Amino acid sequence: MNDELAFCSISRLTQKLRDGEVSSLQLVELFAQRIERFKIQSNAFISLDLEAAREAAGDLEYSADQALCGIPYACKDLFDVQGQVTSGGSRVLENEVAETNATVIDRMNAAGGIYLGKNNLHEFAYGATGENILHGTCQNPYDPSRLAGGSSSGSAAAVGYGLCTAALGTDTGGSVRAPAALCGLVGLKPTYGRISTEGVIPYSWTLDHVGTITRTAVDASILFSVLKDAPGPSKISRSARLEGLTIGIPETFFFEQADTEILDSVDQLMTFLTASGAKLRKVPMPSMEFTRTVSLTVQMPEALSYHNRYLETRGELYSQDFRAGLALGQCILAEQYVRAKRFIETYRRDTDAVFKEVDLLLTPATPAIAPKIGAVEVTTDGVSEPAGNAITRYTSFFNMTGHPAITFPCGMHSTGLPIAAQLVGRHYEDEALLDITSDIESRMDFRIPPPLLPGVTTPSLSGRGQG
Amino acid sequence: MKKLQKDTLLGMRDQLAGYAWEDEEISELVDPKLGIITGFQDLLDQLDELRQIDLGSTPPASHISPPPESD
Repeated sequence: MNDELAFCSISRLTQKLRDGEVSSLQLVELFAQRIERFKIQSNAFISLDLEAAREAAGDLEYSADQALCGIPYACKDLFDVQGQVTSGGSRVLENEVAETNATVIDRMNAAGGIYLGKNNLHEFAYGATGENILHGTCQNPYDPSRLAGGSSSGSAAAVGYGLCTAALGTDTGGSVRAPAALCGLVGLKPTYGRISTEGVIPYSWTLDHVGTITRTAVDASILFSVLKDAPGPSKISRSARLEGLTIGIPETFFFEQADTEILDSVDQLMTFLTASGAKLRKVPMPSMEFTRTVSLTVQMPEALSYHNRYLETRGELYSQDFRAGLALGQCILAEQYVRAKRFIETYRRDTDAVFKEVDLLLTPATPAIAPKIGAVEVTTDGVSEPAGNAITRYTSFFNMTGHPAITFPCGMHSTGLPIAAQLVGRHYEDEALLDITSDIESRMDFRIPPPLLPGVTTPSLSGRGQG
Repeated sequence: MKKLQKDTLLGMRDQLAGYAWEDEEISELVDPKLGIITGFQDLLDQLDELRQIDLGSTPPASHISPPPESD
């Protein structure tokens, strides 16, 4: 079976399944072989259920009524899958078997998706580097000496290495968008609350979003239509194209202290957008001075509140890293937490005010390319910061505001790593955001090559995702 | 605001219905050496600045309601 299929989009595979060129069972076998071949390098999976996948795929009759009919997928090991352990990437829950599916797993399966297994992650989603003492660190498919990013590290690695067609993750500060960006993929964080988090281990209820990692924006759109809770009205027409759109470029913060090649790539994207008929406009954003503090002040008490149920009896099983964060959560005062949530409300209102003037916001996805594995700090523009802070610097604000945001590749760095941009839309305009990103994807000449993986030759691939 | 003292956090741990963190973990919050948590003092300094910003009657953020259907 041709490895090329492992890098096909949902759209392309659906065509092939419909036309009988390939069967779902063949896809499962292809991914099973690749998972085995790349398991040490990718560290993408914590557990697999290939027997059930083969059974589901083998019994499948193709139906055009199912948006994901026969498509193999994976999910971060925070999502409950009935009969499978939901470990959170931690020894704390290594024996906890889910009794029911998470709501989104039910929806994926009802749409014909074939579940393959659970993806590796930063323990309990606490961290953007994706490092995991228990299961190993996921390597970036473009450069195995670098991180895939996190916390949905395994989800990004699985899609990036061609081990599944799409993967689900969670995004609390950028944990879907950032690893997708670092691995040359598309990462969607929807409007807060639009995709159910029922049956997903929480990290921070105020900031958690279920998100998707796919090869293309069209695929993200397909998954969103399957997973979303309710339809949403859209001020931008569903068939909106670039012509006539006003895209805001933040005047401060989002283009500061960043790799110059990343800024150049996003600048080229802006040129393209203008040439395609969009209007670009500089916009003032709320002050970002305290945003990291506000986010942390909400995150850690909420995380502690959830994990309190396990601390008494299994506290010693947590990693030192996560325990330190929970201890910090214990020491934050109630009024400080409430105040932080009030600041989040001001961020939402102030960002909504920006969206009265523009239809979308455009930023780089990350200020730096994927850091080296083991790097504690990243230095950009002469300023050093912790690696995890750098990875999520441009994404975490929109977890607080809850606006839908998508990251997508827009170029290649001279080191051979992908560069990505981020588009942000109004609340509940996820569909329009996806339509616009898909439009950009169909038109722009910013395709990036797939990763060069050992033993895999894909000479026919001319761009990511095979369309 | 005075500098955070370990005894303060030990008192919170022992007297305010929280989990029994190890002494070393409390020490790490006050005087980070392991590089796991950086700057709890910095966080508190920032929280003190935030405390002095008037938020009027702004409520805490909650769910995001869908806007009314557009025509």
